[in-house]
Parts: sequence; structure tokens; C-alpha cells
Amino acid sequence: MAELLRAESLEKIYGTGETATRALADVSFELAEGEFASIIGQSGSGKSTLLNLLGLLDTPTSGRTLYRGEDTASRGRRERARLRNSLIGFVFQFHHLLPEFSVFENVIMPSLIAGARSDTDLRSRAEETLGLLGLSGLEGKSATALSGGQKQRVAIARALINRPALILADEPTGNLDTTNTAAVYALFRSVSAQTGTAFLIVTHDRAVAQQTDRVLEVRDGRLVQDVRNRYISASG
Amino acid sequence: MLSLRIASRFLRMSPAQTGLIVAGIAVGIAVQIFVGSLITSLQADLIDTTVGSSPHVTLTASDAGPVAGAQQIAGRIEKSEPLAASAVAVRTFSAISVEGDDSVPLSITGGDSTGLDIIYGLSTRVVRGDYSLEAGEILVGTGFAESRDADAGDTIELLTPDGSPRSFVVSGIFDLGAAAANERIAFIDPDTAAEVLSMSDGEYSAVYVKLTDVFASADVAQRLAADPDVEAIDWQSQNSELLTGLQAQSGSSALIQVFVLVAVALGIASTLAISAVQKTRQIGILKAMGMGDAQAGLIFLWQAAILGVGGSLAGLGLGWLLIAGFGMAPVPFSIRIEPGFAALSACVGVLVALASSIIPIRKTSRLDPIEVIQSG
Repeated sequence: MAELLRAESLEKIYGTGETATRALADVSFELAEGEFASIIGQSGSGKSTLLNLLGLLDTPTSGRTLYRGEDTASRGRRERARLRNSLIGFVFQFHHLLPEFSVFENVIMPSLIAGARSDTDLRSRAEETLGLLGLSGLEGKSATALSGGQKQRVAIARALINRPALILADEPTGNLDTTNTAAVYALFRSVSAQTGTAFLIVTHDRAVAQQTDRVLEVRDGRLVQDVRNRYISASG
Repeated sequence: MLSLRIASRFLRMSPAQTGLIVAGIAVGIAVQIFVGSLITSLQADLIDTTVGSSPHVTLTASDAGPVAGAQQIAGRIEKSEPLAASAVAVRTFSAISVEGDDSVPLSITGGDSTGLDIIYGLSTRVVRGDYSLEAGEILVGTGFAESRDADAGDTIELLTPDGSPRSFVVSGIFDLGAAAANERIAFIDPDTAAEVLSMSDGEYSAVYVKLTDVFASADVAQRLAADPDVEAIDWQSQNSELLTGLQAQSGSSALIQVFVLVAVALGIASTLAISAVQKTRQIGILKAMGMGDAQAGLIFLWQAAILGVGGSLAGLGLGWLLIAGFGMAPVPFSIRIEPGFAALSACVGVLVALASSIIPIRKTSRLDPIEVIQSG
């Protein structure tokens, strides 16, 4: 599979002088197109910092992130925002839907940000995506009128609408019960298989991480394991 | 336009907050229009009462005799002075109306009826009789007519400056809106005045000038006084206290309007700042999804524009209602809405609203989406 993402010696230090805190140090790995992987780590291990750097929400103190061979380090805020919009879909723990808008409007929002017109093509793409996630018929509902599981599926539909190359999911099932958690991961797997979208899921739960094809473990800001074939060290 | 769509949705989803701020802007703009129109109308009424029925600049001869070439001077002023509405050569003298022991002085102006009409607006101010200045006719004020129990068609006798009596037929009775003028001023034709003053055809006592801009009288007088044979007196130099009062009124009106605008600006700014805080989460999410800083900031600029336009339009309506309501009150003058001033007030309202969005726009531009997405 072709390389989608490469992290090279990523380092992130917050603060300066005596108060400087190294949140991430020397993290390097590659992710292929369509790969279904997870980042695991305890709270404070640096996994969210890593996700922010990979998601171009933040810039590293040193090192660089390349998407399809293109270095993003020199890109300004505006260009990084454009890349986020076109390359990456985000699924957050707290779904973060816009309460003022309907399900349909929430889903098409990334496309509108990209400058797409709210036309028939976009509508059919949104309906198709919502159908893929079992949300057909909820288009006109207010985002606030949905259950927790439905909200998270709408957030996934929103992340998929621009057909991104990568979905970054930060504890996407952190607020869901066991049944919904299993359903969301099954959905991720199914969407990845159907659309060829790569997934990088951040979690602190080993059982969840074991459902992915590759697990990257972060501890004390360093990448300590990069395991494939669903095997994780017991000591991890 | 996504920013506009989001802005209008944010406003629609907070109807009470939106309604309150629109009402706040509307009241501010309405007060602005009402106070501005009130002061303008009040001043216009005062000025009209003071100088509406009198010449704005009077030219007399430097040597206190007749003005040489008065008609030529009047013609030249009408041609070359852009601010002059009319210039008319007049002959003036004082006369006395005697009835038994009671005598009433009259200041009589003899002049061309068309010119005098422009200077004094006489044709529209005649309340009884006709506006006519044929030989032997006289126009007197309501105050004089009342004191002499005279009516249109009656004959009155006056003592002229040389002490001889002369009879005039009252052709009409005018009301100039000022008691003193109605009691003391009268008009006759120029030829009779020449006879009384023993003036030849070309001799006149003065040239009266009416201006299109009453406040230009000092400047115009200065220009006309360039001729060494004449002296120019303008109404402004003779009414300096009135002018000081008008300036003070304008100043206080401007101050009130500025404070009203400041209050409106603070109201909009605080509401938008609160809105920016309330919508921090949404803005953070939008930015995480790829919305640029400028586009995110535009949301609040649009909100300000919608609030400003909506509030200003409502303010125009409310201002009109206030003025219409004032018109029904028993006051001696009416307020006129100046369309230009009302439009300017509405535009200022929109501009103030737009300026008020600077703080929330800056705050929004600086917002880091990470702060939002990592919190619940």
C-alpha cells in the first residue's frame, strides 16, 4: 500500500525555560493508505498531542509530518486548515456536533467549508453517507434531538463527507456504552473496507485497540511499540 | 456564503438575545433621528422667525446718503453672487400714525413688489386683503391694523418725515410671525416712497439682499463691502447672541447623539462578545474541520451587519413613529424628518455595529481549536 502519512522525529515541548515540558519526543512512523490502526496510551502519555500534530491542529517543536510525501511543517495556519479540511476527517470523543444545525447540515459542513455548493450532488453524497451509517431518515432532525450513539454516527458521517484519506478519531467511544462502542468500531471497519479510508484511532483501552490491525503505543511521550497482527505486549 | 449562513443561524437560535440587541440599536437610532430632527427643526423654526421675513444683508451708502446706482448694484448681486436669492433696491423712511394723543411710529419700505415678496415672503403672509403695492396703497401688519382698528380697503393717514400728512389705502394686512414687525413695519410702492423722500428715479436708500444660505450672510457681506461706496450689514452680526445660542444647541445635540451612539456601540460590542464566548465551542469545531481564521471571524462581522441593518431599519421606523407622535402634540412647530439625516443615522448605526465586532472577530481569529475539542 502507498504511504499516506509519515511522522519524522516529532517532538513537542510546551512552555520555555524551567517550565518547559516535553510532551512528545522523537516519534517516527508511517501509515499506509487505507490502514486501520490505533494509538494507545495512558492519560497524559502524549497520544492526544500526537493526534493534534498528525491532524495539523498543532505544529511540532521539531520534526515534521508528511502527507503523501508533502511536508506540512512549512505550511501556514490557512494552508494547514485547508489540508485538514480536504485530507483529514475528525471524530472527537464528545462528537462536537453543531447544535444550531440539523443532522444534514452538520454532515455537509466540511464540504461547505471547502467551498462546495449545497446542491444535488452534495445532498446525494450526504444521504449516501448517512445511509452507510444507518442514519437515513434523520436528515432533518436537530442534532440535539439524537441519542449519544446517533450523535457519534453523525460525527462519523461528517468526518467522511469530504472523502478524506484519513480519519483521526480521538477516544470516539469514550462516552458510549459497550453495545454502541462495538457498533461504532464495526462501522469504522466497514467504512474503511468500503471507502479505502485510513483510520487512526486514539484510545486508552487495550481491548478497543486490539480490534485494529496495528497498534502504536505511546508512553511518556515516546513511541514504545508499533505492533501489527493484533499482538500487544502484556507489559505494555 | 457560509459565514453569513452560520451567523444568521446563530442569531435565529437565540431569538431573545437577538431581539434585545436589535431593540437596543433601534431605540438608539430612533433617539438619534428624533433628537437630531427636533433640534434641526427647532433651529430652522427659530431662524425662520428671526430672519425669514427680513433681509439677510443690507447695503447702505457709506456717506449715509442715497446709494449711488442701487438698482445696478442689485442687478449685479443677483447675477454674480451665487448665494443671493434676490437683491432689491428700496427706499425707506419713518412715518407716524397719529390718532388724538396716541401716536404709532412706522418704518416704511418702498420697493418693487416682486423683490419685496422674495425678501419678506409677503404674498403668502397676507392674512386679509391682497398683496398689492399700487401707487397710494400700503401693506400694514396685523399689530398695527389692530391698534388702528384698520382693515383692508380702509384709508389711513400718516405723518411723513417732512411733517406733511399723506393718505394711503390699506391694500392688505400681513402677519410676519413677529409682533414687533407686525406693529412697526409697512410697505408701499417705490415711486410714492421717492416722492416722500424727494428722491430722483435712480436714488434709493438701501439694497436688501436675501440669501439661499442664511448662515453665509457674514461672508457675503464681507464680499459686498469690497465696494468702498457702500456699507454691508449682515443679520448674523446683529444677532450674535442668537447665533451663540444656536451653536450651543447644536453642540449639545451633537454631544447627546455621540453618547447615544457610544451606548449603542457598547451594547452591540458586549452582546457580540458574549455571543463569541457562547459560540467558542462551535467556532473551535468549525476551525478543526478546516475553517480559516478569516472565515470564522466573518461570522461575527455578519452578525454585526445583520444586527446593525435590522436595528437601524427598526430605528428608522421607530424614529418616524416618534416624530409622527410629536406632530400630534400641541406644540407651535412641527418636526421635519430630513431624509438625508435619517439615512446618515441608519448608516452610522450599521457602521457602529460593524466596528463593534472587532473584539469578537479578533478573539475568534485567535481561538485555537485544540482548546475546544479536548473539552467536553
